[in-house]
Amino acid sequence: MRISSVVAGVVLAALALTGCGGNSGSAGDAGVPDDPAKVKGDLTYAIWDVNQQPAMQEIVKAFNQKYPDVKVSISLATFDQYFTKLKTQGSSDNLPDVFWMNGPNFQLFAANKQLGTLEGLTEAKQVDPANYPKALNELYTLDGKQYGVPKDFDTIALWYNKKLFADAKVEPPTAEWTWADYKAAAVKLKAALGPKGIWATGDSLGNQANLYPAMLSNGGYVIKDGKSGYGDPKSVEALQFWSDLVKGGFTPNAAQNAETRSQERFFDGKAAMMWNGNWVVSAALKSPHKNDLTVVPLPKAPNGGRKTVIHGIANVMSAKSKNPEAAAAFLAFLGGKDAALIQAKAGAANPAFTGTQTDFVNSAPQYNLKTYIEAAEQYAEPYPVSKDTGVWNKLEIDELVPALGGPKPMSEVAPQIATKMDEALGKEKK
Amino acid sequence: MSKSRSVDGKWPWVFVLPTFLGVLAFYLWPLLKTMYDSFTETGPFGGATWVGAANYSQLIGDSEVYRAIVNTVVYTAIVLLGIPIAVLFASLLNRPGLKGAMVYRTLFFLPYVAMPTAISLVWRIIYNGEYGVLNQALGVIGIDGPSWITEEWFALVAVALLGLWMSIGFNMIVLSAGLKGIPSELYEAASLDGAGSAQQFRSITVPLLTPSIFFLSVITTIAGFQLFDQLFALLGPTNPVMPKTQSLVFLFYDAAFVGNERGYAAAVAVLILAVVGLLTLFQFRFQRRWVTYD
Amino acid sequence: MTKRADQQRLGSNRLAHVILVIGSLAMMFPFLWQLKLAFSSNAEIQAVPPDLLPKGLEWTNFTEVFERLPFLDQFWVSVAVTLGRTVGQLVLCSMAGYAFARMSFRFKGLMLALILSILMVPSQVYLIPQYQIIQQLGWLNTIQGIIAPGVFSAFGTFLMMQFFKTIPAELEEAARLDGCNPWQTFWKVVLPVAKPGLISLAIITVLASWADLLWPLVVTSSPNEMPLAVGLATLSGYQGSISPGVMMAAALMAMAPILILFVVLQRRVVEGIAFSGLK
Repeated sequence: MRISSVVAGVVLAALALTGCGGNSGSAGDAGVPDDPAKVKGDLTYAIWDVNQQPAMQEIVKAFNQKYPDVKVSISLATFDQYFTKLKTQGSSDNLPDVFWMNGPNFQLFAANKQLGTLEGLTEAKQVDPANYPKALNELYTLDGKQYGVPKDFDTIALWYNKKLFADAKVEPPTAEWTWADYKAAAVKLKAALGPKGIWATGDSLGNQANLYPAMLSNGGYVIKDGKSGYGDPKSVEALQFWSDLVKGGFTPNAAQNAETRSQERFFDGKAAMMWNGNWVVSAALKSPHKNDLTVVPLPKAPNGGRKTVIHGIANVMSAKSKNPEAAAAFLAFLGGKDAALIQAKAGAANPAFTGTQTDFVNSAPQYNLKTYIEAAEQYAEPYPVSKDTGVWNKLEIDELVPALGGPKPMSEVAPQIATKMDEALGKEKK
Repeated sequence: MSKSRSVDGKWPWVFVLPTFLGVLAFYLWPLLKTMYDSFTETGPFGGATWVGAANYSQLIGDSEVYRAIVNTVVYTAIVLLGIPIAVLFASLLNRPGLKGAMVYRTLFFLPYVAMPTAISLVWRIIYNGEYGVLNQALGVIGIDGPSWITEEWFALVAVALLGLWMSIGFNMIVLSAGLKGIPSELYEAASLDGAGSAQQFRSITVPLLTPSIFFLSVITTIAGFQLFDQLFALLGPTNPVMPKTQSLVFLFYDAAFVGNERGYAAAVAVLILAVVGLLTLFQFRFQRRWVTYD
Repeated sequence: MTKRADQQRLGSNRLAHVILVIGSLAMMFPFLWQLKLAFSSNAEIQAVPPDLLPKGLEWTNFTEVFERLPFLDQFWVSVAVTLGRTVGQLVLCSMAGYAFARMSFRFKGLMLALILSILMVPSQVYLIPQYQIIQQLGWLNTIQGIIAPGVFSAFGTFLMMQFFKTIPAELEEAARLDGCNPWQTFWKVVLPVAKPGLISLAIITVLASWADLLWPLVVTSSPNEMPLAVGLATLSGYQGSISPGVMMAAALMAMAPILILFVVLQRRVVEGIAFSGLK
């Protein structure tokens, strides 16, 4: 009877739970045998973006032409649940064999010995870090060991709607713009378009797209030598820039953003400009106003500085994969040029493999996507992370962003965030 | 019949054991495990260490817990308003000779059977700060409405109004059962004495309904302390107003399945158990006086 | 009832109708508004001021639900979970309830007390260990994982026990004298008589399973393996936005089966809930 076997299974599982734990041997830093036909096994590959699933499936198909005896099944979770799920899988030694990783979560997984290093693959020349931007290699390196093979990268640039600028009779942005120009344009845009329910800017006040680039451009910092940069006067000035834009009614505040993401306002033609990353390209192409949009470099800070953060997803493998050779083979393939070109042609992500970005840029020629590649080459800084980035990211979302445009000046709010963040960073060292 | 016979032999076990073992594995053992877990701290990738009462002292010092309790009280207070409203409607509905009572009953009950996560999406759009029909209606009478689901306190009120709306149908069913228990002779005698409808309502209906009303108050309060679905579905888990609007259960969910702090989450669960336990005890203590089995 | 009192009460029923109509409109408004929005374009939905009636019937929202969301997958998960839980509870709870109502065996009192004790415990208290059991079984993101704890119900057992106690024992005595064993007696004689109780339990379980959020939210993470309740509640987790009209169309289709069931079985649903609400 089915029910009774269910019951028996449950009881067994309940008993098994009382004595869990147990370490299997580290399978991490495996290399790949020279003969692909010898590599066998089943793999799970976990990702979070449904838009990229078709490209990933195509990569698996290409991989199977070389390794016919490895079966890869793709497991998709929504981003909100992705890392929660990984953590619980990690706690029972059930991580997927190969999976997507991002900067904020990387060190937590690496420091807790969940990830396999790339040592075996790099020694065998199956993965060469020289093929990827340096900042991304650094992002996925902990204590001198690299764990992640960069998959794609994103930087930040200024998007604007040409038609809305023309309607408002405002000069469109140029690469020479400063923050003052941005704000002056916002004032004019608001006067002309505000009555029609159109916002001057559709900035989402996100850390990656808005806060970090501004803080870095202005000469401030987010985290340095294990200390928070939110108390730094240059950082505070940058935050005040955003706060003033919100206060003036040029940019939606956190509450308004929560209801309708500002990025959606921009693509619905309800906002004239915004700072955003190249991950929005596929959304731009679906917009009813897609032909009115384009991209220029970010405006410069008052001191003439211009910086963006560079972030990218990496592919990593579990330290406890049951098929370490197959996992390593797949990881190496994901890091190769063929996989990069498949991604680029699909237009879903900007591949990290140097020299393969042309296809991505050409997937939407009207947007001048070269801006993003140049940003990465010329003025990008690594995305700021620590061992447990999630803790202070939460501070940014819960306490800093809602205060933008509020009654308290940033010189009061930001140092408080810095204190709490330093406290969190202090706990990490234990 | 003879109950003491042992002819049943092994049969009772065939009938009882599937459920009993299931309850043992999925409920009783988890109950003990949660109690135990509340004294441990779990690492991000498992591995629990005994920390004594540390989670409880963290609980006592956690301002989010107090805020969650305050939110729950405010939420419950608003949803409790659904009881007087339901008393009014139920007593109108149970008037003898009222035509279309079944139609009304269906309509009033619809919100209770609708899927909370689905209907919450509808309310999310009704509440929308920019184009929501609620603010547009308020605009007609000259009020500039807030962004209901993203501003502090307003979001809580928005969730509570949804809870109120969903509760009325259930309240009416319980109250209708109570109303049927009131002998019609009472009303007849009152009308012979010249008492009007309003007076009958005040002096007969309401006093004789107090048992049902009390029962509903306790049920509503217990449910209030378990608020989760509407909160999650109406506001969305990543809403920035959530830390200021969350309930104890959301706090638990967030700690257990997002923050992965299983030990602390277990302590929050034990707190919920204590609160609900007290309320249940309260209910049982008084239930004999006012619940009629039939 | 005297004629005079009757007349007096009928006379003021007009006022009662007015109040009840206002009340039911307030109850109905979100449903009507949803219906309207589901058939409206995005521009209409965001129009200020809004039109009370839709300009035309916009079916694209519905087609887009199937293009943008794994709606059908989620629908079948919901159906399977609801059926699995309901059938499981009907079988298990009526068996256990029958034993507790009619049979005598060792530890009966203790077992009943243990089962009933969980009635007073809020479900969150079980959640983490339940999750860990499902994880150990490798049942995350599976239908049996969503169903599993919910087929065992203290409440259902109690409900059925109470119900069996109201059935006269003579029938069973007769069956026993005919040579039926307890299983045959239960299956052929008792269950047919217990239909009203079973229907009440079925209705409550169907409503609860279809709407259940927290448990399936915890044990599923792939969009095409979660039930509708979770799929709708986590729409914000999707990359790329889902427009309000599409959301309304999805919500409408998700609750339609339950609303239809309710309207068809209205009296039984109300009775079932009244019966269980006053446990």
